[in-house]
Amino acid sequence: MKDLSSAPERLVELTEISDQPGPYCMSFRFDLEPLKRSINKFGLIHRPLVIENGKYKKEAIIGFRRVLALKSLKWDRAPMKVLSGDELSPSDLLLLNLYDNLSSRSFNDVEKGMILNRLKPHFSGEEIRKEYMPLLGLPSNESTRILYEKLEELDLALRTSCADGDLPLKTIKALLEMDPDSRATLFQWIKDLKLNFNQQMLFVENTIDISNREATSILQVLQEKPLLNIREDQNSNNPQKAKRSLSYLRRRRFPLLTRSEETFKKTISSLGLPERVKISHPPFFENPDYRLEILFRDGKMLGETVKKLSQLNDLEGIGDPWEEEA
Amino acid sequence: MANPPLKRVLVEEGADRFPSVSRILKRIEGIPVERVSDWEKGKASGPLSMDKTSLRLISFPGEFLKPCPGTKGYICCGYQILNVGTNCPFDCSYCILQAYFNQPSLRIFVNLEEKLHQIAEVLDRHPDRIFRIGTGEFTDSLALDPIAGWSHVLIPFISERNNAVLELKTKTNQVEGLFSFPQRNRIVISWSLNSPSIASREEHGAPGIRKRLEAAKMCQQEGYSVGFHFDPLVHIPGWEEEYKRTLEMMDKLIDPNGIVWLSMGGLRYMPALKSIIRKRHPKSRILLGEFVPGLDGKMRYFKPIRIQMYGFMAEMLRKWHEDLGLYLCMESHDVWEKKSWVVPKEF
Repeated sequence: MKDLSSAPERLVELTEISDQPGPYCMSFRFDLEPLKRSINKFGLIHRPLVIENGKYKKEAIIGFRRVLALKSLKWDRAPMKVLSGDELSPSDLLLLNLYDNLSSRSFNDVEKGMILNRLKPHFSGEEIRKEYMPLLGLPSNESTRILYEKLEELDLALRTSCADGDLPLKTIKALLEMDPDSRATLFQWIKDLKLNFNQQMLFVENTIDISNREATSILQVLQEKPLLNIREDQNSNNPQKAKRSLSYLRRRRFPLLTRSEETFKKTISSLGLPERVKISHPPFFENPDYRLEILFRDGKMLGETVKKLSQLNDLEGIGDPWEEEA
Repeated sequence: MANPPLKRVLVEEGADRFPSVSRILKRIEGIPVERVSDWEKGKASGPLSMDKTSLRLISFPGEFLKPCPGTKGYICCGYQILNVGTNCPFDCSYCILQAYFNQPSLRIFVNLEEKLHQIAEVLDRHPDRIFRIGTGEFTDSLALDPIAGWSHVLIPFISERNNAVLELKTKTNQVEGLFSFPQRNRIVISWSLNSPSIASREEHGAPGIRKRLEAAKMCQQEGYSVGFHFDPLVHIPGWEEEYKRTLEMMDKLIDPNGIVWLSMGGLRYMPALKSIIRKRHPKSRILLGEFVPGLDGKMRYFKPIRIQMYGFMAEMLRKWHEDLGLYLCMESHDVWEKKSWVVPKEF
């Protein structure tokens, strides 16, 4: 590749440079303010590299964000390295920008997707997997490549959340498999309820499962009155709404399990257990052993608690709750 | 079922020196053959492709005979897995092998004959122990047999040993090839069974239940012992009636006295398989039950559902015949105990 250290430097009119992200751009969701502060204080330390694009304006290869910062600071012109359009091939220009970025910053997930999409016309799938995905810190497999490439197709709000790390890739992956309306509605719920990562997955998974099982649409599930009532409840805060929505969906998705949990809870609360005594069931009742927990401060307290426990009449009623129902 | 619709055969580096390769290639003459020297070449075309139209002939470097790893927290039947190949021409929606996309294509391990002495050593080292050996864990035992010729190698080999039973587990009805062998002792031909609707909706490419049972009947008539595996039992609306239909077919076609064992196991899957099933089999209904994480991390039906299914099936089967060698596959002690089944200390 050509040595660019000796590329000619010129004062370039900023109006000549496109401010739209071009085919070499790999920046999304960036904050210009720190850059503007730096330019204000010390001037333009690193020169952007632009190519003359014959037909239209000049295109920023390296330093797209610096160009935007300069424009925002109302500079008219700035010193830049200028290449003529035919000096480097498009793939070289792309790699130039990639390696320059790699040396100075890390990419968010949307940017990684942009890079993979821009590499696609120039390199084989195998080259992208083997050479470039590891550079981006991605596992070299086809399904990851496809997932990241699709991120650029998401609408702006979703892309922004993804780039900001508000949505984990697991959630994005599930959302990408839906039609755009369902995706947008589910995303709105996630945002409105401010669900954490774990809650997002449970919300999405259970909604999809309910819609599949009942052969109804995701939109219909999310428009069920009890669910809407929870979201619109003025007396609850977001964490409460999140918990109740998830609980509602869980009850719909796992009717037998939730019924068993409720029956068990009812049985235990009717026992009148001594204070500081707790009986719990194993997760999902899969392990056959139930758990008794006694908190005590000394042997005397323990003895008294055990005595009270032994005097309870209905302990034999504790068991697998579905057998009680049968 | 006829031979699988193969588009190409990939002979991996090092496999050519085994005589079984030329025999296999002769059986599928006319299909383009490529020699592949590295792993990348001939990989599946996409992330969701199992590439079932390619046959890879491989020299398998690992151990052929291994104990079934079982699963943490559940009772294992002590089975020995004889690893003769991987993947099969059928495309069951619940197949665990879908999760292994780095192992695409139908795979035949062509050095089986050369490794028989290792298997013999293991068997001979424990003359007092009975080995239940099966080839149907990572592939269908018979679906590729007309090409691979596994039965030609294994049936005579096992028949010579008093401490081993070979189970050929399948969903095919192509059993005629087995009838040319004089040996019958300690060979069990078994079928994976399900309800007719699950077979037609979820077991893509596999013969229907009636065809499987007709093949089992032929094997019984030819003097083979047979086995059946209701695994995975799938809980869908109307499942009782659906499974009854299979039991009725069994009653009509099968002599229960000739059944050596019959197992049951509820559908279970690794969590990672869920999204793969959704993508590869979007019309599948198998994920819609109440699945909860099991003690081994796999998703299983909520326990009372499993107990109900096993109870129903066991009652029906016992009405048909008292001694079918009924057992549960990968189930917990308490599920065995619930239906007053004797919990095995050791299989």
